[in-house]
Amino acid sequence: MSAPGISGIAYALPAHRRDLSELAALGQLESDPSLLAQFGFDGVHVAEEETPYSLATTAATTMLSEQRVPPESIDLLLYCGTSSLAFAPHGGTADAACLLASTRRFQYPATRLQYDLGLERASTIALDQLACTSLFAAVRLARATIAVGEARRVLCVSAEFFPECAGREAIFNCTSDAGCAVLVDGGAQRNRIVASAEITKGYYWDADALRNEIVASYFPTAKHVIDETLRRAGWSPNDVTWVIPHNVSVRSWEILLGLAGVPRARLWDRNVSRIGHTLAGDNFINLRDAIDDGSIRPGDRLLLFSYGYGAHWTALAVEA
Amino acid sequence: MPESRSILITGATGLLGRSVLQRLLAADARLRAVVLVRDSSSCASIADTANVHGRVTLVEGDLRSAGLCLTSETLAMIRRQVSAIIHLAASTSFSNTLEDARVVNTTGTLHLLELARECRGFERFAYVSTAFVAGRRTGVITEELASPSAGWVNAYEQSKYEAELFVCREAADWTILRPATVVCDDRNGAVSQLNAVHRALRLYRAGLVAMMPGINGSTLDVVTTEFVADAIARLALRDDARGKIVHLCAGEGALPLGELLDMTYACWARDSEWRRRGIARPPLVDLATYALFERSIEEVGDASIKRLTRSLSHFVPQLALPKVFDTTTARALLGDGAPPVRDFWLPMLQRLFVDGHATLGTPRAA
Ligand SMILES: NC(=O)c1ccc[n+]([C@@H]2O[C@H](COP(=O)([O-])OP(=O)(O)OC[C@H]3O[C@@H](n4cnc5c(N)ncnc54)[C@H](OP(=O)(O)O)[C@@H]3O)[C@@H](O)[C@H]2O)c1
Repeated sequence: MSAPGISGIAYALPAHRRDLSELAALGQLESDPSLLAQFGFDGVHVAEEETPYSLATTAATTMLSEQRVPPESIDLLLYCGTSSLAFAPHGGTADAACLLASTRRFQYPATRLQYDLGLERASTIALDQLACTSLFAAVRLARATIAVGEARRVLCVSAEFFPECAGREAIFNCTSDAGCAVLVDGGAQRNRIVASAEITKGYYWDADALRNEIVASYFPTAKHVIDETLRRAGWSPNDVTWVIPHNVSVRSWEILLGLAGVPRARLWDRNVSRIGHTLAGDNFINLRDAIDDGSIRPGDRLLLFSYGYGAHWTALAVEA
Repeated sequence: MPESRSILITGATGLLGRSVLQRLLAADARLRAVVLVRDSSSCASIADTANVHGRVTLVEGDLRSAGLCLTSETLAMIRRQVSAIIHLAASTSFSNTLEDARVVNTTGTLHLLELARECRGFERFAYVSTAFVAGRRTGVITEELASPSAGWVNAYEQSKYEAELFVCREAADWTILRPATVVCDDRNGAVSQLNAVHRALRLYRAGLVAMMPGINGSTLDVVTTEFVADAIARLALRDDARGKIVHLCAGEGALPLGELLDMTYACWARDSEWRRRGIARPPLVDLATYALFERSIEEVGDASIKRLTRSLSHFVPQLALPKVFDTTTARALLGDGAPPVRDFWLPMLQRLFVDGHATLGTPRAA
């Protein structure tokens, strides 16, 4: 069997976009907008009518139809996202606590998505608590499941948003609401997953208490995960054609690339200003856009890296 | 040198000066010492030495003023009796502004040189400098006057360099002794005074620093108080050290940075509580990447991480400016070199982080 690969990606962003000055005027930024602009941000997409579930559904439906994938061919659905917020409209979260106290807590987005998409044969697993690395974890799990012959086709769907009260900045990163769907296929012609690595450091679970330590640990651990991924792929840093980032501050990427020994010009950073960061899997959103805009050619070697607050570091090596 | 002579020593309340004075007095029973201190009431140990030997005279003064703030009687006594000066006093903080560093280290040395010129029968001005007058230069650093072209990492280095120029120009008979950074008392690793290296190690151990400047070939040249104080005491007044610049450095025995980090993190990892935290060993980065990191901390860090990072910025860039201190002159004069860093680095870590350091005095930067 050929190595599992990513045979389709689609994403959905809320229709409404707010630029930095609007966000600042609404009190949704902690930092000076000019500093965030220096870090590469310009604005974010904010769900008004959409719910996380609607974004997930749109992304998954689009992906299945674009790739002409019969829903019944999906063996496994991996859903990433906070289930108690999945159906909350308008960024409203007031209902979340009541929901947990009732049998409505069992109204899970993963199972509903399986039904709504017509994934008749798909078993369903939900992933949570991995912050921005959730979709990576789903893709890794999909790859492993395919590798042991338990599935041929796995649909990974992720949707997250920031409740209205949360503001739009997470540690100097402007964050969009989004949904993203990734199809991992045992027989993919492109985007073969060559290697992956991940590290969880439980010591940093209380991110607020250890903020300075986390800032310090981010870079060395990220370098370690990237080095390890490249080592497993048998690539040198210079072999990487594109780094497909999570859309955090471009400044932090420049530092990380310096550490990893990958030239700055290899960073595909076009979506940092357009979308900003998302909890839903901006690397995969970027991968889709980089393929669409012709940046990526078959055979290119791609490095995807993301960090999940709380604290997880993860990377994938993908051959386009 | 005359049969019964007096030396003037500065910096005798400091880490090295204390030890140098003891060794000088122990080595020569006829030696008398005039000891310049800023505050004699806080110099109990030196006063004790005076009682025991009756050969030590404390004089209160300050390098920052011409005439060192000494009374005219004291000045007259010095002019009459002192035939050599061993100058160790310095403002050793790496974070000083150039103005603050110069006022003690450069101008202060000039004031002392002026006094030396006034001493009858004056023979030797021994200046304790630093190996890091080499500043940003890389490669083999010879035991010669440095050229200023490469610049310096901090104002301390520059002010000491400028003082060296004055010493060579103004003193008729001089010796310049350039120690590397002292990290522990002796090969057993005891640390009696904390400095910037120890504070940096603490920050790395606490997982508060993301990276370390350094490149392939970078080494850490550090030494023990025992070696440096012994060498200063032996060489400061020796005839064959006249006009010599002497590196009191590990030289070839300096430890490559990679190996040093391996040893350090392996030592810390023996503590299972520390190991469980998963604190990552910092990658070595070039100066451009480190500068970007510093800038980013200035932009996004909270007050405490900014303070910590700034405290490192005053000296860690040296680690990415690889240099090997040539110790040919030192070896020829001493007959031996400094102990290799490998011999005392682990014991030092052990004393500092495993045994604790309840006996440590007030931290000083050096
Ligand atoms: N320790 C090292 O790692 C190291 C390495 C290379 C070179 N050195 C050089 O070795 C020498 C001694 O270093 P150290 O580590 O022993 O220094 P230290 O512990 O910091 O002591 C500094 C000494 O200088 C005196 N001093 C400071 N300002 C003075 C002033 N304005 N007037 C008179 N005295 C003043 C201090 O007196 P108070 O007690 O009144 O403060 C103290 O005795 C210095 O020249 C330093 O540059 C040291």
